[in-house]
Amino acid sequence: MADDKDVLRDVWFGRIPTCFTLYQDEVTEREAEPFYLLLPRVSYLTLVTDKVKKHFLKVMKAEDVEEIWFEYEGTPLKWHYPIGLLFDLHASNTSLPWSITVHFKNFPERDLLHCPCNSVIEAHFMSSIKEADALKHKSQVINDMQKKDHKQLWMGLQNDKFDQFWAINRKLMEYPTEEGGFRYIPFRIYLTMSDRPFIQKLFRPISPDGHTHTLGDLLKEVYPVAIASDDEAKRYQVVIHGIEPLLETPLQWLSEHLSHPDNFLHISVIPAPSD
Amino acid sequence: MIACGHSNDQMSSCVLDEETFCRCCQLFLEHSHSLCDGWSWQLVKGSEEGYLRKVALGNVRIRTSSNPNQITDQYIQGASSDQRQGRTSPFTPHKENDDDHNDEQYYDDDDGAVCCMQDSRSSGVIQYEYHILYSYSYQTPVLYFRASTLEGRSLSLEEVWDGVHPNYRQRLQHGPWDTITQQEHPLLGQSFFVLHPCRTEEFMRPVLQAALEEHRQVNYVVTWLSVVGPVVGLDVPLSYCTKVPAPSHTSPSPLQPPALQTQPD
Repeated sequence: MADDKDVLRDVWFGRIPTCFTLYQDEVTEREAEPFYLLLPRVSYLTLVTDKVKKHFLKVMKAEDVEEIWFEYEGTPLKWHYPIGLLFDLHASNTSLPWSITVHFKNFPERDLLHCPCNSVIEAHFMSSIKEADALKHKSQVINDMQKKDHKQLWMGLQNDKFDQFWAINRKLMEYPTEEGGFRYIPFRIYLTMSDRPFIQKLFRPISPDGHTHTLGDLLKEVYPVAIASDDEAKRYQVVIHGIEPLLETPLQWLSEHLSHPDNFLHISVIPAPSD
Repeated sequence: MIACGHSNDQMSSCVLDEETFCRCCQLFLEHSHSLCDGWSWQLVKGSEEGYLRKVALGNVRIRTSSNPNQITDQYIQGASSDQRQGRTSPFTPHKENDDDHNDEQYYDDDDGAVCCMQDSRSSGVIQYEYHILYSYSYQTPVLYFRASTLEGRSLSLEEVWDGVHPNYRQRLQHGPWDTITQQEHPLLGQSFFVLHPCRTEEFMRPVLQAALEEHRQVNYVVTWLSVVGPVVGLDVPLSYCTKVPAPSHTSPSPLQPPALQTQPD
């Protein structure tokens, strides 16, 4: 369907206008101006912020600079989460641009993973893809691919090349017709009101009796709190790529069209705004 | 239950379902309590999920130390050095400055980690925390761990690698997914090191296959841990392999014939 392909493009090219400000306690030789950037929803902070780093390094001495890390309203931002997920989780219902604070000192060791170079991002990205395929195809599709295909997935993401990426990724979105869908759906439900970062369980897109599972079915099974009962006001929003899909949407369709490049459906459950 | 992972294709592969994982851990814990070697079951708040956890102290050569790294017998006092023979820990004990020795006592505790009472300014004593979680994606256990000095400084990945015995290092560096990487703990959200689980089925399959053919029962968690644990300094005393039973199943299991209930001594 032509419409479905458009969805893939819309997801890939989603952007978040962001304002980067240097943390006030960083030692600078002169005042640091904020830096504005459109961030790709589907990429990772440390992959797309070279310009940000360069901008602030201009006003700092080398000895005052350690590993860069980002924070929003006191919360360290996990670079290994896709940017769009971070925004939906932390800043969904706030005004744009998204204001992120940049740090070069006091790296929060317990909370953040280190990111010394791009190959760490690549390893993390490929590891997610591999895990997703373990769920979808018992790793058969990813293991049958050549190293150069794996590389193409990463290069497609790194260089923002939709066609290059999907030339390979489409194979990861296929399934035997008789099955009706993937073996299990790769998803994570992220919670803001819990110590636990996310929920991940085994969940089939089609029930044994052939019934197509929806987003609502998934939530009811795995995180029923997210769905309001008929008589009460809606307390939570269920957000994927900045939108609230209808709960009736088939999960298989969501997995094929609204997954991130890492092949996971990253779903945010956030408090509904009270107006 | 929709999220059930039981399916016929499990018969042909050697994977572990969550329920069996929990039962294996339960039996593991019973033995652990008899050894007093520090394992416990941690529950996740507001859920039925849990994981095995253990904290241990060890002496490891760390990069910031300027001391040489020889194994010396005077270093281990008290408890029988015979116990060291049965150890599989690849971590090389670290020789302190002679000045420090006068104030210190060293002893082997039952799990083989060298415990050391010294004042906190000495380098070399590392606190390890090990977690065993269940991975839905790979349907195997996964080993998470972190290490810090007594002053609370987290060890870097390089320092962790330094602690891995050279024999294991080569095997671990073989492939990009056969390795120790830093990951987010899926239940706690904090940074941990992880031995990647995607190859687990590969090394477990021959063991489980052999057990099936010989009509032996296997406790998946014990077998798995005895393979991966030593690589990261986690000792698994021999008695685990002889004394911990496999969980019994009321329904047919792909791992062993349902009728047998042998408990090897």
